[in-house]
Amino acid sequence: MGYEPLVNKNLLRVLKAGTENGREMGLVMARAGLGKTALLVQIALDSILQGNRVIHVSIGESIEKTRAWYDDILRHILQEHSVSRPHELIDMVQHHRMIMTFKEAAFNRPRLEERLNELIMQDIFKPSCLVIDGYDFENADRESLEDLREMAETMSLQVWFSAVCHRNDDRVSAAGVPAPCHELDELFDTVVLIKPEENKISLNIIKIKGKVPESDVGLDLDPTTMMIKKS
Amino acid sequence: MKRDLQKVRNIGISAHIDSGKTTLTERILFYTQRIHAIHEVRGKDGVGATMDSMELEKERGITIQSAATYCSWKDYDINIIDTPGHVDFTIEVERALRVLDGAVLILCSVGGVQSQSITVNRQMTRYKVPRIAFINKCDRTGANPYRVTQQLRDKLDLNAIMVQLPIGLESELEGIVDLVTMKAVYFDGDQGENIRIEEIPDHLKDEAEEKREELLDAVSMFSDELMEVILEEGTPSEEMIHEAIRKGTLSLELAPVMIGSAYKNKGVQLLLDAVNAYLPTPTEIENTALDLDKDEQEVLVTNNPDDSLVVLAFKLEDGRYAQLTYVRTYQGVLRKGDTIVNSRTGKKVKIGRLVRMHADQMEEIEEAGSGDIIALFGVDCASGDTFCGDGINISMSSMHVPAPVISLAINPVDNKAQVNMSKALNRFSKEDPTFKSFVDHETSETIVSGMGELHLEVYIERMKREYQAEVEVGAPRVAYRETITQRAEFNYTHKKQTGGSGQFGRVAGYMEPLEEGEYEFVDKIVGGVIPREFISSCDKGFKKSFQKGTLTGSPLTGIQVVINDGSYHAVDSSDVAFQLASVGAFKEGFAKASPVIMEPIMKVAVEGPSEFQGAVMGSLNQRRGVIVGTFEEGNYTVVEAEMPLAEMFGYSTTLRSLTQGKAEFTMEFSTYKQVPKSVADELVKAYQDEKKN
Repeated sequence: MGYEPLVNKNLLRVLKAGTENGREMGLVMARAGLGKTALLVQIALDSILQGNRVIHVSIGESIEKTRAWYDDILRHILQEHSVSRPHELIDMVQHHRMIMTFKEAAFNRPRLEERLNELIMQDIFKPSCLVIDGYDFENADRESLEDLREMAETMSLQVWFSAVCHRNDDRVSAAGVPAPCHELDELFDTVVLIKPEENKISLNIIKIKGKVPESDVGLDLDPTTMMIKKS
Repeated sequence: MKRDLQKVRNIGISAHIDSGKTTLTERILFYTQRIHAIHEVRGKDGVGATMDSMELEKERGITIQSAATYCSWKDYDINIIDTPGHVDFTIEVERALRVLDGAVLILCSVGGVQSQSITVNRQMTRYKVPRIAFINKCDRTGANPYRVTQQLRDKLDLNAIMVQLPIGLESELEGIVDLVTMKAVYFDGDQGENIRIEEIPDHLKDEAEEKREELLDAVSMFSDELMEVILEEGTPSEEMIHEAIRKGTLSLELAPVMIGSAYKNKGVQLLLDAVNAYLPTPTEIENTALDLDKDEQEVLVTNNPDDSLVVLAFKLEDGRYAQLTYVRTYQGVLRKGDTIVNSRTGKKVKIGRLVRMHADQMEEIEEAGSGDIIALFGVDCASGDTFCGDGINISMSSMHVPAPVISLAINPVDNKAQVNMSKALNRFSKEDPTFKSFVDHETSETIVSGMGELHLEVYIERMKREYQAEVEVGAPRVAYRETITQRAEFNYTHKKQTGGSGQFGRVAGYMEPLEEGEYEFVDKIVGGVIPREFISSCDKGFKKSFQKGTLTGSPLTGIQVVINDGSYHAVDSSDVAFQLASVGAFKEGFAKASPVIMEPIMKVAVEGPSEFQGAVMGSLNQRRGVIVGTFEEGNYTVVEAEMPLAEMFGYSTTLRSLTQGKAEFTMEFSTYKQVPKSVADELVKAYQDEKKN
């Protein structure tokens, strides 16, 4: 379909994540405004381009705004990479993505699971990847996150979360995962941290597939599309 | 006479069908001495209640259902504005909500919070209308006002607080405990008109104390004074509590819950007291308008009688008294004989008669002050128009008028019906901006369009009943389009020799899909192979072809036509010859360009209780929809989807049965998209069959 350059430029290829069948929990961390959502969208797009279906869970955000993220990023991608039939790509993304938004208090595992089951049982939409944006890690207890992990495992889902870390909170786990997720880091297989540098965004890979990389691994991303920068 | 705006209440009474709105309104009018006898709405099971109320209206000739009814209670003037409840009439509901300042939400103590209560409540929230809840029918078997209060919290997300308790329930309902005064109230006399106040019965004392604690707890948030008294363990005065409840209600953070049984004449007077005590005066509500002289900048209307006049016409009625225009004044004073300007049309109108509508009569008045709701005679306007006095040109904030989504062809059965139908259509489209009608010149049918099937059905019914216009109704229709998906060449010669001068023209070139726009004609003819004067004939010919595609006879869109070759004959070539050659060329090219049918895709949002989300998504999925997303808050869900309009016929019925009537949907046009192959084949076949016949 001519999307290979897009697939290859996706950071997940380098992370070698998302290639196997699900059951993986990933975490994208950054300070506010650095592009966590954009990165989650990019992760979702990667899965979509490989023909998978993705549910984008947005907590505390509207459907419209979430959708606008996809539209913006797709537009930027299409500006930079020529694709033979852009409309087909846009259609494909629409058909392979579903947005679920929850008011903060309305989000919990039973509800999410019920929703997912409704979709799967009625053969409406069978996701293989879930991105969850806006999960409240500050007030989350370990149990509810374990619960979500268990759900991901039983449903064979790949799940990616985003979390906000704060400049003046220097608590950090042994593996290097900053607060508020420093006490939860073993629940995640992959943890990446977005760091701003001059004119670029760099991605610090703290943990990959359950292992801490031996040497410092980093990637430079294009800040508008969150794809790997041309070197 | 200057009216004290502090003692004016413009309220709406809204309810789910069969919660007893008519009965309650009757009681209110009786106790406020607007009518002198109570007539019951019959039908104990409630099945025929709405019908009964219409009959009742006819029989008695009163205007319970009229747009606004005036009454007065303990020297407060109350305008009761009718608020229709159905989703298909949102424009009417929203217009009514716009002019009222507060509302009474009636609930059935057995049925509790039902679908319409949810809809109306959401609309009230959107228009920031403070409200009181009245739990009616506490005399019925299964009555449970406590449960309904909890539902108000859970389902409507209201901070509902009981300010009363029932004394007995179901058939034992005797009276009401007022938690503010801590007295028991009984309603004696045949029609409950004599109020008897006593001590709270012993068996209810503990419960009353407990509920009063809850009440004080909840309302003390709104009054520092009350909070202090409570902290110092003093006894707050009644005024203090009323004031706190009022503040909470006005801030929309509290919904006081009243109880009673209108049918058994219990609790209605206390509800009227609450309307006076807790609902806002016209000046307590901020109303904005758009300044038409300042690029529609938002301005606040002042409520000041000394300012220039601003009046909103919110409802037209073609009643017994000829045409009535219901208006609300927002500032200034409207006087008989005044000349006012319609800010939409710029037309000047002289005010002939001003009347205040009572239940069974009307009262001629000389003037109406700001915040008042009255009716005008003989004013020609559309509902939603604003009238201004000297020196200003503003329009009450334009209410969003959604575009019609469904159309039907209607044909009058005879001449008489034809005349009456035109009258009715004219009237309806004035009253309701979401209802439109036009004549399709191709089929000479009259097409009506509106917000939903039911919406149109009701108007067709009204046409029959009110205007004696019997019409035949066609099936609802979708507007398809056709386009091409690839480039194709054409080279067509039109030749005709029938004695005398013949016709000759050859047109060659190609057509290709156009990303944006409907039709583009590009002339790349060089060397005069088609003479200048015939180029426009070619353009005309192609344009003509655009009106009707070959697949389904629908108009075409998104095609660029380029001509780059051709030939002509010095004698036989003509305007007509080249037009016909172009029509032929178009047909030839179109067939080769992989033509497809496009259909309107609607953005649909289904709202309702979360428990039905799965069923709703399933129903959308079955109808070729793509679910874009869902939104959940509390127990309420929105599902957004992109749906082919063709699949939405009958959806309101499906949705209703799927969700026990608790969900509603809105839809608006989004874009045109290609019809899937299987559906396209059917459409083509249907078109061919139609052509054959």
